Amino acid sequence: MVATAATSSFFPITSSPDSIDSKNKKLGNGSTNLGGIKLNPSASSGSLQVMANAQAPPKINGTTVVMTPVEGFMSEDAASSTPPRTFINQLPDWSMLLAAITTIFLAAEKQWMMLDWKPRRPDMLIDPFGIGRIVQDGLVFRQNFSIRSYEIGADRTASIETLMNHLQETAINHCKSAGLLGDGFGATPGMCKKNLIWVVTRMQVVVDRYPTWGDVVQVDTWVSASGKNGMRRDWLVSNSKTGEILTRASSVWVMMNKLTRRLSKIPEEVRGEIEPHFMNSDPVVAEDDRKLVKLDDSTAQYVRKGLTPRWNDLDVNQHVNNVKYVGWILESTPLGIVESHELCSMTLEYRRECGRDSVLQSLTAVSGVGNLGNMGEIECQHLLQLEEGSEIVRGRTQWRPKNAKSFGKMDQVPAQSA
Amino acid sequence: MLKFSYCNATDLNQALVQCRFAGSFGPLSSRRRSPRAVVSCSRSNLTPIQAVLSCQQQVRSDPVESELGSLADRLRLGGLTEDGLSYKEKFIIRCYEVGINKTATIETIANLLQEVGGNHAQNVGFSRDGFATSPTMRKLHLIWVTARMHIEVYKYPAWSDVIEIETWCQNEGRIGTRRDWILKDVATGEVIGRATSKWVMMNEDTRRLQKVSDDVKEEYLVFCPREPRLAFPEENNKSLKKISKLEDPVQYSRLGLMPRRADLDMNQHVNNVTYIGWVLESMPEEIIDTHELQTITLDYRRECQRDDVVDSLTGPELAEGSEIHGTNGSATAITREDDLDCHQFLHLLRLSSDGQEINRGRTEWRKKRT
Repeated sequence: MVATAATSSFFPITSSPDSIDSKNKKLGNGSTNLGGIKLNPSASSGSLQVMANAQAPPKINGTTVVMTPVEGFMSEDAASSTPPRTFINQLPDWSMLLAAITTIFLAAEKQWMMLDWKPRRPDMLIDPFGIGRIVQDGLVFRQNFSIRSYEIGADRTASIETLMNHLQETAINHCKSAGLLGDGFGATPGMCKKNLIWVVTRMQVVVDRYPTWGDVVQVDTWVSASGKNGMRRDWLVSNSKTGEILTRASSVWVMMNKLTRRLSKIPEEVRGEIEPHFMNSDPVVAEDDRKLVKLDDSTAQYVRKGLTPRWNDLDVNQHVNNVKYVGWILESTPLGIVESHELCSMTLEYRRECGRDSVLQSLTAVSGVGNLGNMGEIECQHLLQLEEGSEIVRGRTQWRPKNAKSFGKMDQVPAQSA
Repeated sequence: MLKFSYCNATDLNQALVQCRFAGSFGPLSSRRRSPRAVVSCSRSNLTPIQAVLSCQQQVRSDPVESELGSLADRLRLGGLTEDGLSYKEKFIIRCYEVGINKTATIETIANLLQEVGGNHAQNVGFSRDGFATSPTMRKLHLIWVTARMHIEVYKYPAWSDVIEIETWCQNEGRIGTRRDWILKDVATGEVIGRATSKWVMMNEDTRRLQKVSDDVKEEYLVFCPREPRLAFPEENNKSLKKISKLEDPVQYSRLGLMPRRADLDMNQHVNNVTYIGWVLESMPEEIIDTHELQTITLDYRRECQRDDVVDSLTGPELAEGSEIHGTNGSATAITREDDLDCHQFLHLLRLSSDGQEINRGRTEWRKKRT
């Protein structure tokens, strides 16, 4: 508001103060109209514009409803067309013509607005804080993330842990928006009553391209049934600006009693809660059903011992966050592979949780080089286990040489010269 | 004479940003920030505000560049304040940033401080490539490194809270620069935290500290408040407190900590925020369970690299002149002037191999509100 006051001293205000206020109120904070005179955009600082957008009220489930006053218009006119016909009135009734034109225009505009011809802008206004919203018949949840500086790995792209953190965030926010959050994190009200929780058993992630710092990614997620008593959650991550698909992921969940730790069927009450939200589409990632082998000291080529959870690794239940396992798996992946290749696909089987006092070891074996006809691709098998033997996670990763997709990166020539 | 040269993709990022140790930073994004963004600042007769605004004008006048920048900017929800001398940004706390207390962890807070510092630099038109140094600094192989970090949190935000962080930088004596932050809860408007950091210039080859020369100073001073503005304006505040070195035998320790891949920045140095996690590793569990971290001060002494093994040591801090009020032999000191529920500790991180000090720290803890 300081800027508007400052610039008002440059532009003579012809209207009364009252009308300025009402105009300002209509346009919201940081209005650029003072008494009908448009401010020169270059005179206002960029920050004011950004702030104005940020203060737009967030509409979580917002979809714009386009009102067409067409019907009102027509009836208004019909009521008023009773004057006696003089020779002037023998001319075409312009008001009817005008009404017709307006109708057509408004109808066209309505069509226009409903097409996704400019998808990003309405999204951004409705979701200023990146909370995300339900789209597409209420079954898909969409959220945008800006890649932050500390989410970047050593090779200047978002790390796989960052991507998986985003997947986790959207999953929880989806549950929250759909009203499926009974307790803090993941169980519906019906499940809470019966001490049931969702437990992830399997995760597959395929990365086509890693986003870099400052990129904005759009994450879409939805759930489907998996067998009779399971749930599958899929994610699609795309570049918000270009629409390019960056990552696809799919996870399988089962229901477990949190007290007995035994698997459970989905009770009817819970089925009623969750089935309306199932999309029942095909998995977004083709299921990799090759068996994951269990490594041991003799078959593993690389071992990293003494891995301990830090305070920051624990979630609200004092269990190690799922995503941290991925970091530990990569600890024993040979540095040579990590430096020259990027992770393009990963399959994980979750077996057990671990907590603060666990001591883990990470085992890796390189199981294939140049597989699948792709020169330079490497495949590894992984095991994360407690040092006393219990398995935490089994995994398989595929790596492709970095800059294999360098065609897309050619435009990133840095602005360095001489 | 203000002189900005963009032809070497230089940027004064380090001057303005709390970044990872040894001055490295995120990926090159100069393709999104047109070189023209800074050229306009080379007119030496611009006042600071005009320089900033004309920089931004340039960025916006190129339609391709402004389009590319605007989407990220809008999501980033940040921008310079009206006078152009500080930067504000809003963040929403994500679920994976929340720890055992159901509130954001101190590492999350520290990461966000780092992020907003970097975004400040980017917003004034500097790109954020690896070293973020001015032309003079690059010529002399100089980089910025963090010397001290001090964070106070009065109320930790919870999942899906929105906080706003304001940051600015300014000169600090002859040898350094400082960056300050204020954190606010957007819903209530209350200040939930403050932080300040001190940076010094170092020669990247010899790893020796160096005075900030006048031409380097001029290059970034245009973006700093003219009058001193401190996040901690009160006298004798804790951000200035000297930290004593913890001597053996220490009461609590956690030995053999190793950097993970995710802890390393592009130059294979451990990043600043990881040290915070390491310092907390040797905190006694009974304090972690019942108290939350109110204040943390870290003095960075030495860098740490991928293959280093680190010991984390913790001991109670004895207030000057006070006795130890302990029960059952527990030696946690209780200061006389503070709340009885406040505890203070000294910390030391050192290399396992030869005991060399990496950094030393000080924390204050207050009882959790349940």
